[in-house]
Amino acid sequence: MAVASGSTPPAEAEPKGPAKGWAQRAGALSLAQRFLTLREGSIIIVTLIAFLYFALSTNKFLTSSSLKALLPYFAPFAIMAAGQVFVMINAEIDLSIGAVYLFTPFIFYKLNANVGLPLVLAMIGALIVAMLVGLFNGLVVSVVGISSFVTTLGTLFTLSGLTLIISHATQVTTPGTSVVKVGTFAQIFGGGTYSELFWAIGIALVLQLVLTFTRWGIYTVAVGGNRLGAAEAGVRTKLVLTRNFVMCAGLAGFVGILEAVRAATTTPDPSGANVILFQAISAAVIGGTLLQGGSGTVIGAFIGAIFLGILQDGLNIKGVSANYFYFWLGIAILIAMAFNTYVSRVRTGSGHG
Amino acid sequence: MADVQVPQERIVGPQTADDDVLRVEHVRKSFGPITAVRDINLHLRKGEVLGLLGDNGAGKSTLIKILCGFHRPDGGTMWLKGEPYAPKSVLDARQHGIDTVYQDLALVDQLTVYQNMFLFREKIRKPLPFLANHIMRRETRKALEATGINIPRIDVPVARLSGGQRQAIAVARTISGDADVILLDEPLAAMGAKEGALILDLIARLKAEGRVSIIMILHNYIHVFQACDRVSLIQDGVIAFDRPTAETSVEELNEIVVEEYRRARQAAMAEEAGVARAEDNGA
Repeated sequence: MAVASGSTPPAEAEPKGPAKGWAQRAGALSLAQRFLTLREGSIIIVTLIAFLYFALSTNKFLTSSSLKALLPYFAPFAIMAAGQVFVMINAEIDLSIGAVYLFTPFIFYKLNANVGLPLVLAMIGALIVAMLVGLFNGLVVSVVGISSFVTTLGTLFTLSGLTLIISHATQVTTPGTSVVKVGTFAQIFGGGTYSELFWAIGIALVLQLVLTFTRWGIYTVAVGGNRLGAAEAGVRTKLVLTRNFVMCAGLAGFVGILEAVRAATTTPDPSGANVILFQAISAAVIGGTLLQGGSGTVIGAFIGAIFLGILQDGLNIKGVSANYFYFWLGIAILIAMAFNTYVSRVRTGSGHG
Repeated sequence: MADVQVPQERIVGPQTADDDVLRVEHVRKSFGPITAVRDINLHLRKGEVLGLLGDNGAGKSTLIKILCGFHRPDGGTMWLKGEPYAPKSVLDARQHGIDTVYQDLALVDQLTVYQNMFLFREKIRKPLPFLANHIMRRETRKALEATGINIPRIDVPVARLSGGQRQAIAVARTISGDADVILLDEPLAAMGAKEGALILDLIARLKAEGRVSIIMILHNYIHVFQACDRVSLIQDGVIAFDRPTAETSVEELNEIVVEEYRRARQAAMAEEAGVARAEDNGA
């Protein structure tokens, strides 16, 4: 080039305005890209957009009664999705959590009303039963080697049927609750306004710590990412798988009790329970957990659940037909899936472009 | 694998020596109808580097996986440092002092370099069972420096690394433990010439230290003569040849392998002729 005479090194040493602007823009770009390639980056942005949209387009969305109404829309899914994330990182899926959610409060009722156990013991007993269901799922998947989709589909229907049988398809009053007054047990386990919120935050935080900072978490990723390799390194893959199924079922049972206490009635409604199953899976998927395993976060699923709650509450307040909820939920899942696939390729650097 | 019997006179019988660190007698292993390891007799002296050669499906990897506790043999006996050795698991074998670099490397793509380095040997911070990541990062850097292979960032998922870098991590992970016997299943696969040379250097250095004994599965005869004290050839699930590398040559190994092919071809032709005859009789 004619301009460059070779005698102007100082110009290179000190970048002029445009060059500096470029560098800054590149920096901002890479920062934006780094945020977006955070597993939770995309869902945070989408959730914020949904939040702002409903906050600006309706004047009731930001009221405290509306935000309180949002809580039960997301807290149960956040907890159930937290357990599902562990199973999905294992490259498995638990379809029975809706049925466990349905079944456990009836065991709680039976143990309290028929067996006569005090509330807390009856709850612990019911949770143990829920975890036994998880143990069964886990052992069939890991030891017998049947796919988790089929296994948990089987437990889904078995438990749904069993719930109808033992309940005679009639609803009961949840033990420890009354229409008149919310007692201490009910306050703590679902009846208090913020009870489910606290449980959701606490469980999500603890499980995210477990996932990131403990052997349990590392082995969960390892078993989902490379099952043979993890086994060769010495990881007891069957134990890891089974443990996660047990935890997932235990959490689903716990949410079942929380919701039964919140509603004060325990209702045998299998189709409603399956909606809850799919919303919990949606929260995990929207939150960046990949079905093919090896990747996912509890925090992402938590935000995914918040997104579901905002969508449902916002559409309710706007007075839009409930039909739109599933439409937008579906679109959100498809977008999230596309984005997560892209992000995971960028993260692992395996051929994007 | 063809049904070719190795000539009986060539099968290596059990050998013993006082300084054997590992001895394997009449070990066999089948997976359903497939016999992977028919009858293996093998010994390894302290500080020795043994090269294992053999065709695909000859049983090399199965033998390694038996030695490292991943598979349990159907029969036979093993001794490690003079004691009977029957590992119940990979962990059990590792606690006995046998550690392995697998052919598939046993790396988890989604985990970072240091997480893979410490997979199933994580350092834990007390009293809460949290991972001591800073210690693992530091020791990973040290261990990788020792291999001489340049891995600029240890916080990235190993999926981003090249085949050679991944191999280096798998090798560094194994040799940085305190194993007495190291098994390497094709350590030079997926490696560029330069990286391969670094791994061979590393093995030479380990050999010079004399602390560990090594069994390596290799494909390249040149590497065998470069790195190994002794070479064993597995054919059809038995050890069909076993000699110090100083007393054999590429030509001799080649001849044995070519002979095997010839036998396999003859067997196949005989079988074809048999089938043809049966068809003739039927018609």
